[in-house]
Amino acid sequence: MIRLIIAYFLMFSGAGFALITVIGLLRFPDVYTRIHAGAVVLTISAVLVTLGTAVYVWEFFLSAKIILIGVFFLFSNPMATHAIARASYHREVALPKEYAIDAYSEYLGRDYDDSNSSS
Amino acid sequence: MLQKVSAFILLLLVWIIFAGRITIDVLIVGSGASLLVTLFLSDMLFREVKRELPWYHYLRKFFLLLLFIPIFFYEAILSALKVSKHVFEKEPSFNPGIVKVKTELTDITGLSVLANLITLTPGTLTLDYDRTEQSYYIHWIDVETLEQAEMKQKIIARFEKWIGVIFR
Repeated sequence: MIRLIIAYFLMFSGAGFALITVIGLLRFPDVYTRIHAGAVVLTISAVLVTLGTAVYVWEFFLSAKIILIGVFFLFSNPMATHAIARASYHREVALPKEYAIDAYSEYLGRDYDDSNSSS
Repeated sequence: MLQKVSAFILLLLVWIIFAGRITIDVLIVGSGASLLVTLFLSDMLFREVKRELPWYHYLRKFFLLLLFIPIFFYEAILSALKVSKHVFEKEPSFNPGIVKVKTELTDITGLSVLANLITLTPGTLTLDYDRTEQSYYIHWIDVETLEQAEMKQKIIARFEKWIGVIFR
């Protein structure tokens, strides 16, 4: 009984974080902040849902399999996030022109202060 | 040799967990598949250790790694709540920016693990690593300070001391 309550608590909190992610994806202003909102769903929400499912089924091999799927989420998430953000900066898909603090453009040797020179 | 054996054992364990039962046919097919992967890709899974350390050092590192997992989830949930707070504001009032943070790690495994941990935590996102200046370029959703030491304290210091001990 307590096991079921814990499982439902974990699953519902994971679903709540997923809902927050969707609202954040819709409301945040530009690409990079939206990626931040998307990082919430894979680290917290997916892990909470997989943990809740593993507690719910409560059988050794099945739970181990589900937890292994959660670990694969944790491995693949940062690489995908990093690759999307870095590619969108390098290929100039979405440039953060309105940022006050941008140390990365100095590293790449670019200067986006004059916006009319981009034509 | 040691890295091949450990890679084989790890792959076989994953195979058994995914198969869901321990029978003789699962073991035969699994060891065949693990052997194939081990022969071709074992140097990508584990690296040879240059220095020789006594065996209890590795035991201590493994114990610290297990201890690090709940701490990481605690930090991740804290920063996820911090990002979620911005979602429910009427006008999203944050100050995004890309900052440059120095790190003291030199080991390449530790560097990549630390970069992945920074990306995994909501609110910070690693864009690049500069090898000559030993610094990360991190996109931060809410730049609170530009002081180098304070910035480092807020973003990476909570993971850096663990990673510096575990992967050294």
